[in-house]
Amino acid sequence: MQPGAISFLGLAAALLLTAQEEPARKVFWAFRAPAKTTPAAGFAEHPIDAFVLAKLKTKGLAISPRAAGRELTRRLHFDLTGLPPAPADFDTPYEETIKKLLASPRYGERWGRHWLDVVRFGETDGGEHNYERWHAWRYRDYVIGAFKEDKPYPEFIREQIAGDLLEPGNPRMAAATGFLVAGPWDQVSAELNKDKIMVMTARLDELDDMVTTTFHTFQALTVNCARCHNHKFDPIPAKDFYKLTAVFRGVTFGTRTVAPAADVAAYDARVKRLKQELGALQQALGKIENPVLARLQRARYEAFDRARAAEPRRIPLNPVFNRNQFARREAAHWRLAISKVQGKRAKLAEVRLGDAVALRNWTAEAEVKDDAPVYAPLAAPPGAVSEVRWWTDAATAQRDGMPMVYRLEASADGTAWTEICSSLDHIRSLELDLPAVSPVDVAAQLDAASAAERARLLGEMARVNRAIEAEPEPAKVYGAKPATLTSAHLLDRGSVAKPVEEVLPGALTAVSQMPPDFGLTPQSTDRERRLALADWIASPNNPLTARVMVNRVWAYHFGTGLVNTPSDFGVMGDRPSHPELLDWLAVWFMENGWSVKKLHRLILTSRAYQQSSAVNAEAAAVDSDNRLYWRMTPRRLDAESLRDAMLALSGNLRLEAGGGPSFPLQKRGDRGSYIYKALDNDGPEVWRRAVYRFVVRGGERIMMDSFDCPDPAVASPQRTVSNTAVQALTLFNNQFVLRQSGLLAQRLTREHAADPVAGAYRLLFGRAPRETERRRAETFLRDNSLELYCRVLLNTNEFVYVP
Amino acid sequence: MLWRAGGGLAGIALAALEARAATNTPRPPHRDFSARAKNIIMVFLPGGISHVDTLDYKPALEKHHGQETRGANTITPFFGRRGTVMKSPFTFRQYGQSGQWVSEILPHLGGVVDDLTFVHSCVARSNAHGPALFQMSTGFIFQGFPSIGSWVSYGLGSENDNLPSFVVLPDRRGLPPCGAALWGNGFLPAAHQGVILGGAEMPIADLAPPAPVSARQQAASYDLLSALNQDHLHHHEGEDALAARIRAYELAARMQLSAPAVTDVSGESEATREMYGLNRPETRDFGWNCLMARRLIEKGVRCIQMYNGGHFGEPRVNWDGHEDLRANHTKNARVLDQPLAALLRDLKQRGLLDETLVVFTTEFGRLPISEGLGEGGRDHNPEGFTSFLAGPGLKKGLRYGATDELGYKAVVNPVTVYDLHATVLQLLGLEHTQLSWYHNGVRRKLTDVHGHVVKDLLA
Repeated sequence: MQPGAISFLGLAAALLLTAQEEPARKVFWAFRAPAKTTPAAGFAEHPIDAFVLAKLKTKGLAISPRAAGRELTRRLHFDLTGLPPAPADFDTPYEETIKKLLASPRYGERWGRHWLDVVRFGETDGGEHNYERWHAWRYRDYVIGAFKEDKPYPEFIREQIAGDLLEPGNPRMAAATGFLVAGPWDQVSAELNKDKIMVMTARLDELDDMVTTTFHTFQALTVNCARCHNHKFDPIPAKDFYKLTAVFRGVTFGTRTVAPAADVAAYDARVKRLKQELGALQQALGKIENPVLARLQRARYEAFDRARAAEPRRIPLNPVFNRNQFARREAAHWRLAISKVQGKRAKLAEVRLGDAVALRNWTAEAEVKDDAPVYAPLAAPPGAVSEVRWWTDAATAQRDGMPMVYRLEASADGTAWTEICSSLDHIRSLELDLPAVSPVDVAAQLDAASAAERARLLGEMARVNRAIEAEPEPAKVYGAKPATLTSAHLLDRGSVAKPVEEVLPGALTAVSQMPPDFGLTPQSTDRERRLALADWIASPNNPLTARVMVNRVWAYHFGTGLVNTPSDFGVMGDRPSHPELLDWLAVWFMENGWSVKKLHRLILTSRAYQQSSAVNAEAAAVDSDNRLYWRMTPRRLDAESLRDAMLALSGNLRLEAGGGPSFPLQKRGDRGSYIYKALDNDGPEVWRRAVYRFVVRGGERIMMDSFDCPDPAVASPQRTVSNTAVQALTLFNNQFVLRQSGLLAQRLTREHAADPVAGAYRLLFGRAPRETERRRAETFLRDNSLELYCRVLLNTNEFVYVP
Repeated sequence: MLWRAGGGLAGIALAALEARAATNTPRPPHRDFSARAKNIIMVFLPGGISHVDTLDYKPALEKHHGQETRGANTITPFFGRRGTVMKSPFTFRQYGQSGQWVSEILPHLGGVVDDLTFVHSCVARSNAHGPALFQMSTGFIFQGFPSIGSWVSYGLGSENDNLPSFVVLPDRRGLPPCGAALWGNGFLPAAHQGVILGGAEMPIADLAPPAPVSARQQAASYDLLSALNQDHLHHHEGEDALAARIRAYELAARMQLSAPAVTDVSGESEATREMYGLNRPETRDFGWNCLMARRLIEKGVRCIQMYNGGHFGEPRVNWDGHEDLRANHTKNARVLDQPLAALLRDLKQRGLLDETLVVFTTEFGRLPISEGLGEGGRDHNPEGFTSFLAGPGLKKGLRYGATDELGYKAVVNPVTVYDLHATVLQLLGLEHTQLSWYHNGVRRKLTDVHGHVVKDLLA
């Protein structure tokens, strides 16, 4: 039923019902402190099962029998590590498997990824410019590490909100605050816009983002709904929202160096020395190579021109953009002398001297000749310049209009001109199609002594380059970046142009267990503000904190949360299916040191978790969504698990943990807008776990997208599980899948030469093939390769679904 | 209205309604089946096409050319380089029965104005490309919300089992700024994501396997997969998800056959090719996209998002005419004009315009002043710009709303992006306040909490 369809009659009935049910309590359930409930007696030994069974009994249902051993092994491995079990793992007893997997580094990667979904961690800004955040990965590593180490949850909270202030100078603690700035950022509005109101609004959007992320994540509340008016459904007045923006006034988005200044200076000095050394070697090498290189290059230029004999001969400039650099120079007059063009006339879209526009939309209709060049006067920029850049109009340049021989001239008086640079020394890397001179060709032209000296120099250079690489770069993180504190105001309908009254940092009035005011003043520091909020959230008295986290963990284990809107415990959200169990778990969690790993063990040892996923028609008729947990809901592998599993099975998964992202992406566009596309290239550089990929906002990621890996522009407390034809096409036809199928086939041939089909079934499914399956395999393999057979197996429901 | 009820007792009543707010259904209710528009083609011009140089004729610009804007009329440009009033470099003339003024750079479009409904008073919320592109594409100035195409796909479902319900045709010169985020499904199910239709060689990503796999091997592989999945299903009686996945592969196999049939234009007449500009280099690519739009509509695809213009880059390949507006718009109009007019004519002559809504829009317009003194470009203007619609249920030839004398602000009947979206949904039989999806604590809608259907546009 849809909200719009709720009749007024229904509303009245609901009101009546509520009034009867809860006469005295007006406090919404989520704001009440978790009660210390007791599991119903006589149902089961395990407290979780006692709660689950008691509830099932009210509907005349029961828990399903325990799942088969191999199903449980597969379930546990994917659940805790996101990877398939190895054949030997199927023999390990259940409890031992839990212990082993919780201790594995793969566990941190799997559960860290869940957390990154919740906070929408991304490594580009999003939006128009979508710039990279090269140092954002440190937050990803922080999160993975926190799960791996089983960091007590209150510490995890405090560090993400205020780690940089808790331990100044500790890069890891600064990285933790990557949480606050994990979401998209409108860099254009923040930095380029000249419209004041738009800039103020953009800043409020930043603060809104930090408040929203914090409250979605730790409190499962949508406080941002109170930005324009008091929250329509939850007891959150607009003033509370603005008090929260006051908490984060000292923070903005950005990269900061977290190493001590002395370390940075020492690093710079060391690298400078090494670079000087490199420069000297380079120079010595140049003395040997340059004469040969020049000769070879010239020969190539000529060959290149000859090959284009049909067209006008030209120096192979870039047809769109060219650039020269030269020694810094100041002059009153500048001009471009163009003595040859491709086509009938010279045309330039824009010329810049340094950063200043020196010329725009210039066309010379006259015939351009070597002996009588056409001059394009340039506007002299203020100060010295050391660079000229020019653009043609690409569309027309392809037919005519491109200068091919030009020189830049400067003059003090406008009469005597000096050449500064020319088309002969333009930046060569911009040339198109120019055949490069290979080092092998250069070496071949040298005499023995020079060749030996060259080899020595190259060896030395490699050594110095390695030394530079080995220098530990002073740590930078993309995290909370200090900003000048400004006052916060309650705004009329969220308009920055309409401040109503100044507000001080504080939290939610609806949480009656905690004082909503922090006792701070307008002069209070960033540290005081953020720590006050961190403590407010990480307190055992906060009724939401523990509940929200135990519910998240539960939801990832079972596929549905006890509250099935894990980031929304508000009125619009779901109601707990098992309120007593939720409270019991929350209290248990707090009493057990807020240990997430202990919580996992508790849940995983329940019968509720270990039950079979087989459909029971009678139970399905009563509770089709399995909200009462009468079976385990089978689950489709998520995008990362699917990809990692294929790599693991083909034997090519690289398990290096942590560090910068290594996945190459295609980046298109220039100054202004970037478009990212996951490259098809498949090789060891992309064979790390998917959690280490470079997470782009708004990119094209065919395989990840179609398997519901969320774009990090939006928080995903639960992933959708869709089933589309495009998804089928991807898994069936994608180059990556075919390649991994081939590698899996090779592995089978290597390790199971006698019976590759049996080997495949053991690897993928942990069982032997049935007789029909054997027959089908034999028939198929008569005309088709083992590679194609593997591709089919990787597409089967049995592989893609975890029972 | 119930959902406007505040906290207090009503809040508790809502609490008692249990999980309803948080429940999403595969298909929204309240579709008005009497609406005649069943499909939609959206033509988007990234960068911001200048209304005052194309479809919103402002003779006053000539009168005030070179003058400064003062006092309350002072204009704040995005880049802060304030220039003087700049007349259009183009001449205008009136077309058709409706007498719509159209710039000289869009002569073909001039020929179809009587079938169009112009909105000259569009207003966007941001003067920066990113947020404005997001707003026109998703209703929100932030990234991550479902695109209008995804909403329509969710609202109307698919009419064709062999093709995606939402197809995207990017400009061949490059993707628009912000890229795939403009047609993302956000938090809606992935079935509603825009699927890019590429060239004839591989219309849809991964439509066919890489070269070494032959058609025969592909068929044998599908057969084996199907058999293994059926065996598996027998051991997992009643598991709907498994059966659904088997159906998805059947659909995928059909799509592999039907998608190339869409892109195979060998059956189109020479007159059609000529009309869409397939025979001329500057119109060939956009013309191909326009022809694809018609062919996809014929196949029952619900929603088509086309772009005329790509990213900014160097030089930019979209309508962001900051420097030399004359050159920029002349060049882009040459690409746009003939194919778009051909699409509108072709849809009409085939009767498809009776069931297809066409929406022509951009993220914002451009300022009536020059960008910097003595320069030939215009900066961003979200305060007033022009969009047009065509299709059933609209007053044809109407000119609705108006900007001020200079074309700076919408002063007569301003139409916000929310209003435009509400109207578009209405024309498709979808009530914008009803088409919603629960996500992270909020029932999200394309129009957020805003938007009014512009009834005056409706016939």
